[in-house]
Amino acid sequence: MPTVTDTPTNTPETKPEVTSLSKRPYPGALVVVEGIDGSGKSTQLYLLKRWLEIHGYRIHFTEWNSSPLVKSATRRGKQRRLLTPTTFSLLHAADFADRCERQIMPLLHGGYLVLADRYIYTAFARDAARGCSPHWLRNLYSFAPIPDITFYFRAPLDVAVNRIVAGRPKLKYYEAGMDLGISLDRSESFRIFQERILNNYDEMVETDNFVLMDGTVKVNKLQKHMREMVAQRVDLARYAPKHK
Amino acid sequence: MSRDGKEKVSANGKKKRGEKKSSPLLFETTSRFYGSSLPGVKPEELSGTLVVIEGTDGSGRSTQISLLTEWLESEGFAVQTMGLRRSYLVGEDIDGLLEENAVTRTTLALMYGTDFFDQLERRILPALRSGLVVLADRYIFTLIARAAVRGIGRDYLHGIYETALRPDLTFWLDVKPEVAFDREFKKSQAISYWESGRDMSLSNDLFQSFIKYQSLIKKEFEYLSKRHGFIELDGEASVSTVNGHLRKRIASHLGIRSTHYKPSSALAHTWR
Repeated sequence: MPTVTDTPTNTPETKPEVTSLSKRPYPGALVVVEGIDGSGKSTQLYLLKRWLEIHGYRIHFTEWNSSPLVKSATRRGKQRRLLTPTTFSLLHAADFADRCERQIMPLLHGGYLVLADRYIYTAFARDAARGCSPHWLRNLYSFAPIPDITFYFRAPLDVAVNRIVAGRPKLKYYEAGMDLGISLDRSESFRIFQERILNNYDEMVETDNFVLMDGTVKVNKLQKHMREMVAQRVDLARYAPKHK
Repeated sequence: MSRDGKEKVSANGKKKRGEKKSSPLLFETTSRFYGSSLPGVKPEELSGTLVVIEGTDGSGRSTQISLLTEWLESEGFAVQTMGLRRSYLVGEDIDGLLEENAVTRTTLALMYGTDFFDQLERRILPALRSGLVVLADRYIFTLIARAAVRGIGRDYLHGIYETALRPDLTFWLDVKPEVAFDREFKKSQAISYWESGRDMSLSNDLFQSFIKYQSLIKKEFEYLSKRHGFIELDGEASVSTVNGHLRKRIASHLGIRSTHYKPSSALAHTWR
């Protein structure tokens, strides 16, 4: 066990009550955060990552970002506004598949604790808000491993939208859902688009076993809760640094 | 699903390789999409005709499409074509991925999917709305076959393409792998990495690898042919013979009376 001390209540080693590991075909574990922009999920995952990192755990952090393989296509599609709901979705799925097959799966098989900022549920919520059929989307991503924990950060729409709009001078075309033609006003379009995404997330809480996290709670309080949940659901001892 | 029952009727081309009369009504009564239609597409607006030519490299597809284009245009039909890696969105990116060999199978399959739907939504559907004849130089079937032999689930692949448009006619120019090898070698004096399935480590011998890979693909096509009602044509027959079968079938679908055709001087060299 690591020699570093931690706050008494949330040492990573507190009672590993492992529920699901035996069912999985790999020794690693996958912890995911989801939620709309401005829900606070990235901050919380960052803090979780720091906690584990500082204690020397075998972790890897991955985020929903373009891999070099498909970057140029995504950029071209977005710049020239060529993407339809279907090609938008497929291109992101190709991108995710690259990360999944070359990064996430090898790490899970290699016994890492993988932390993912956004996962397939982002695509389910966002692409369905664009009009793709949920059934089609579920099939599209069926190659992805199911997370051990999915934290769903939920903040009221106004809170989340204000956080984003305040920090960003100009919302991007696809980010604001302008391709849907909901509104000519970008902020208005963004708001309606995010609302649809939020509703889609809410519908997955039950079906996909989300752990609901209140994005309005104070950062350190929420982080404490998050660490407790991780220690409860993941056998952290497996990813602990070896004795010297 | 209804496609299985209905289309099997026209799927027994094996016994009678050349031509077989079947009612075009068969296709008109089935839905234009395999599953749900693409977001925002009204099937009743699509007045054009989608003709697919499938077959491995060396089966004579491209030659036939050039000839059919000329014939249809001379009959007064406007033609649009599509094919693999021809989308503006990702066509060149796939070329790049193939050169690097770093790409994994699911990513590649999904990039091909993106390429397909970009062409379908931005070029083919508008063409069909305008009543054009679309000649597809390969379609979802090649994409499904290639991914399936690499171990990606068939149901998964059919799921991705369930929003694709169902062709009015799908021809399969069937050739033996050995014949495809001869033709391809003659054309480019070499056998490509992907056409010989070298990513699958089937054999270090390139000829063996090519034959094994193409045989696997052919098996997938036999299955797809039954499932989707291909019209199978003997791709080893002469160009003019194959073209005659294609014209006859397309003419009856489009209601063209005469199937007489002689290639112009520009294409005469292909006519053998």
